[in-house]
Amino acid sequence: MIKITQWTVVCLVLCLSISTAFSQGLSPPANVTAVDTANDDGSSITLKWDAAPEDSGISGYQILRRIADGDLEEIGELLPAGTTTYVDSSIEKGSAYAYAVRAVSETEATVDSEQTAPVKGTGEWFHTGKISLFTAMLLFGAVIVWNIYYARSGKDIFVRRIPGLEAVDEAIGRATEMGRSILYTLGLGRVDDVPTIASMTILGQVARRTADYETPLRVPCRDPIVMNVVREVVRTAYLDEGRPDVYNEENVFFVSESQFAYAAGVDGIMLREKPAAIFLQGQFFAESLILAETGNSIGAIQIAGTDSEHQLPFFIAACDYTLIGEELYAASAYLSREPMLLGSLRGQDWGKVLIFITMILGVILELSGVNWITTLLQKVN
Amino acid sequence: MKRQVPLVLCFLFGVGIILTRFSPHPYSQFFYEEVNSWVLIITPFALVLATVTLIRAHVTRIRRRTEYWQYSFIVFAGIITMVVIGVPYGPQHFVFEWLFNNIQVPMDATMFSLLAFFIASAAYRAFRARSFEATLLLVTAIIVMLGNVPVGDLIWSETSSVKQWILNNPNLSARRGIILGVSLGVISQSIRIILGIERSYLGGGD
Repeated sequence: MIKITQWTVVCLVLCLSISTAFSQGLSPPANVTAVDTANDDGSSITLKWDAAPEDSGISGYQILRRIADGDLEEIGELLPAGTTTYVDSSIEKGSAYAYAVRAVSETEATVDSEQTAPVKGTGEWFHTGKISLFTAMLLFGAVIVWNIYYARSGKDIFVRRIPGLEAVDEAIGRATEMGRSILYTLGLGRVDDVPTIASMTILGQVARRTADYETPLRVPCRDPIVMNVVREVVRTAYLDEGRPDVYNEENVFFVSESQFAYAAGVDGIMLREKPAAIFLQGQFFAESLILAETGNSIGAIQIAGTDSEHQLPFFIAACDYTLIGEELYAASAYLSREPMLLGSLRGQDWGKVLIFITMILGVILELSGVNWITTLLQKVN
Repeated sequence: MKRQVPLVLCFLFGVGIILTRFSPHPYSQFFYEEVNSWVLIITPFALVLATVTLIRAHVTRIRRRTEYWQYSFIVFAGIITMVVIGVPYGPQHFVFEWLFNNIQVPMDATMFSLLAFFIASAAYRAFRARSFEATLLLVTAIIVMLGNVPVGDLIWSETSSVKQWILNNPNLSARRGIILGVSLGVISQSIRIILGIERSYLGGGD
């Protein structure tokens, strides 16, 4: 009996020693800090701790969280060994949280770190990671505004010839001579898409000319809001030209919001009415070639323009003239020749020059082993 | 006054929305989401107006007996059927779904599939080797097309490598050039709109 008691005591002491040895070998995560995540809306807190040595025996980490006077609770999954950061995105805004990081060994022994001080998630008013982008935006904006005011002083501004825009008068004249209509489509863009707004400006200029020549201008629309705005654009153009009697509201009409139903509808109009000139200006997707090829098949003079680089090859292949990318945005200045618009065009070119200089400088510096421009641009991204 | 109020609103909201892209604060994000959701309020009203114009256009077609006026009855049949089923029972109703999946979707697919024939006819015109540029385009297109199919590498083992080089170098450079110009154009256009220089959206040509 005495022997059994002695053996039991020995075993207990042995187990206790082994357990102590293990828990002494498993160090708690050191330097655990919890801070409000930078540049977010206050919906997360970031935890950081020091990396444990490779032979520490840690197989993972469990994050523990405590709110106000509550108890520590496990959150999230067990993190793999080697992890040193954790972003807690499950917090309630305005509440303070304290954290601890629990190291877990392969034998499932655990040891907790010290608890951090309570921290709240707060939203920042300015994203400091976007300072470079913000500066670039201000710089480019300033260049454009300066050029607009430069143009207002009456200085002559050179604009290179854009064949697609030179052909606008030719297309309208052809339709007038043939006694046929002009079809103008703004594509699938919504009213808040910049290409659609650029297209509306071109439409305004086209409408002024069609008002003068009394040529019917048909505008099938895909978006109901665009249709209403376009009606105003065309109506005002006719009023400005002193020809409100020629304006027909029914010529600006809704077809369908569905992409291919719209394409089918416009194709049908092309084949039935055989317009002499077709303008495809705005935002286009897969229907671009369907429209352009149908227009081509009826022998209409076609002037296309889009900023989608994927659709440009189709327009170039099927249309007589194509406004490539930025030319779509230059159209309003080019057609109206208004000094302030021409000034903004000049500012745009200055922006391009600045970017080219940055690119060339960046390549030279990168080849020389200096990479601060690359680092700066990566931050902007 | 009729023009000044929209211009002032455009300036304030334009600048406000730009600033929200640089501010992650909850108030800023709330403003951004709220303003965007207002568009949803305008859309149904505009859609009603648009549907009225569509109906009027087809009524006129029927009345004037213009070419293929009979098809306008199909437009009315489609609108009435979908409204009669969709409004009381919702778009999840099995008849509505059946009509959508078995009429609308196949018709869309049919239109989309026409693209293959249009690509062929456009390519035929574009690839006629009438000038140096057209010949260059033709040769490049042949290499890229062959590089995309297994037989290309059987003809010449380097076809897909050459294709990839064309896509990664001259093609990507040209695309990036266009993207750069477009991006600057968009910024410039946006500044013109915010400053009230571009007023076409108000109904005027300038």
